[in-house]
Amino acid sequence: MLSDEARRALAGLKQADLVVGIPSYNNARTIAHVVRAAQAGLAKYFGQLSAVIINSDGGSRDGTREAVLTASIESPQLLLLSTPLLPVHRLSLPYHGIPGKGSAFRMIFALARELGARACAVVDADLRSITPEWIDLLLRPVLHAGYDFVAPYYHRHKYDGTITNSIVYPLTRALYGLRVRQPIGGDFGLSARLLNRYLERKDWETDVARYGIDIWMTTIAIAEGFQVCQSFLGAKLHDAKDPAADLSAMLHQVVGSVFTLMREYERVWRAVRGSRPADLFGFRFDVGLDPVPVNLERMVKSFLTGCRELREILALALERGALEELLAICRQAEADPRGWRLPDQLWTRIVLDFACAHRTLPVERGHLLRSLTPLYLGRVASFVLETESMISSEVEERIEQLCLAFEAAKPYLAARWDSARPPAAPKAQPAPVEVKL
Amino acid sequence: MIATLREILEQSLQRLAQTATAYVPPLLAGLVIFLGALVIATLVRLVVIRITKTAWLDRFLLESGLASMLGRSRPMQAAPLVAAGAYWLILLIGLLTALNAFNTALTSQIVQAVVFLLPKLVTAALILLAGAWLAQFLGRSMLVWAVNEDLPHPRRLAAGVRVLIMFVAVVVAADHLNFARQVFLAAFVLVVGGAVLSASLALGLGVHGALKRRFGEPARAADGQEKSLWNHL
Repeated sequence: MLSDEARRALAGLKQADLVVGIPSYNNARTIAHVVRAAQAGLAKYFGQLSAVIINSDGGSRDGTREAVLTASIESPQLLLLSTPLLPVHRLSLPYHGIPGKGSAFRMIFALARELGARACAVVDADLRSITPEWIDLLLRPVLHAGYDFVAPYYHRHKYDGTITNSIVYPLTRALYGLRVRQPIGGDFGLSARLLNRYLERKDWETDVARYGIDIWMTTIAIAEGFQVCQSFLGAKLHDAKDPAADLSAMLHQVVGSVFTLMREYERVWRAVRGSRPADLFGFRFDVGLDPVPVNLERMVKSFLTGCRELREILALALERGALEELLAICRQAEADPRGWRLPDQLWTRIVLDFACAHRTLPVERGHLLRSLTPLYLGRVASFVLETESMISSEVEERIEQLCLAFEAAKPYLAARWDSARPPAAPKAQPAPVEVKL
Repeated sequence: MIATLREILEQSLQRLAQTATAYVPPLLAGLVIFLGALVIATLVRLVVIRITKTAWLDRFLLESGLASMLGRSRPMQAAPLVAAGAYWLILLIGLLTALNAFNTALTSQIVQAVVFLLPKLVTAALILLAGAWLAQFLGRSMLVWAVNEDLPHPRRLAAGVRVLIMFVAVVVAADHLNFARQVFLAAFVLVVGGAVLSASLALGLGVHGALKRRFGEPARAADGQEKSLWNHL
């Protein structure tokens, strides 16, 4: 799993108590700030522990790795650091395998295990709002409170994180019963025990190697009964996504990972009713946020085109009543582009129907996931129309309503899952895993 | 004159009697065999539908996408498929046995030809089935891609892909059966040549547009409206 270059670096370091991992790909503009914040955080809060910052790079050509290795922290006096300090080592290594964030994480985790790290934090390379406190908030619950997985909790603009708000958070919460608000936030704290569990799994070469990694980590931590908490990190401000990237593929990978894990943890989610809040660390405060522009017209157009043209594929997944209701809403949206809404109950049924179809129609999985894109854009457009004049607390209340709709639809999911069940495979099922609620 | 006429009539009746003697019993026997086969086939179909436990086949049909391809209104189940297969097989055997009852050179040739052709026909049918499956799969891929890329007429594009792949399957099946080889091959070359020409023109025009956008409107890349559809993940 580790390259010769990584092994040579390990031989020089031998051991570290803490690891901070930063996956990157062409992030020269922002990564130096992230490295400095991580270094300052390690020095300020964990000065007596040995630590390494590992940049796992996907072949950047803009000098990202050089930026990591040359980033220097401002005068220690400015940060009020205690002395003596153990030095914070820095590594910048290319990872191998399928290009993607998951592969980058895999190398970081493998290095952390080899170094015998007690805790590991991973942070995105495109963050502009990271501070040294983030490192403390991600690592301290692991080191001093016995948690295995620390998820981030941010303030985000109401139109930022819409995959999280409209699919991943409500679905994960309803399935596994724990309210982790940012399950694909990208910045996490992890215990050595959980790292070992991740590394022993065999599904790294799937969507997990790409953008499916975040929800994969969160789901495993919750579903397998690891101790999970959240840390309030303030605002999440990051670079806008690369417009050239195929972001439909990102939706495909994230949602595909959620659906795949639903099959694996069927026994867990079937036993869960309702949800409970996850412990939250950190001092909560309000922050100003960058506005997120949205192109409502294009989203509505994509939604209408998808409903009109993809009926054949939608019919494979959606229950007849849901499909007819969706088409009626499309007609309404065509007639009155600002007066229509995609209701929570229908959106919930759409997502759950797709989850069931993903299970029963393996050959069609790619088509199903990609045909969800226009429906997702329709849901986002509906959400934007509904929340245009709302403040963030009202928007949060609105998201809470959607989550409750997902929780209420659990019996519907169980019934659909059973009715769409293909004949039992002869293979033995794994032992059940209890979720501790 | 009358004697000649009577002689001709007698010979004619005699030949008719000979023909009837030669063919009516085998015809009756053939009919009985065929009707027997029909009854057996119907019974077998009913029994197979009732007793067949085809869980693995149902699973295969569902998971491979064949179930939704064969049954348009609702997914095809394996039991009716197996039953229909058994029904037509018994009927075919009955028909060949009935033909064999005539014991003539012609019927023997027909039976031989069918027996000889049957494996080829089955293979050709499988080629067409595989072609239909691939056409559906790639047609759907094209449809979803075209919709997500906001291309014009996505269903027509998908239909084009389906037709092209089915056409290739038909050419391969016809070649396998040695049926109108030259005609199908010529048509295939024309269609593929046309498709390549169209693709080249489309690519050329697309590249022209892309270059114009790249060099003529550099400011557009920085336009927030262009990337705002997706930057709120």
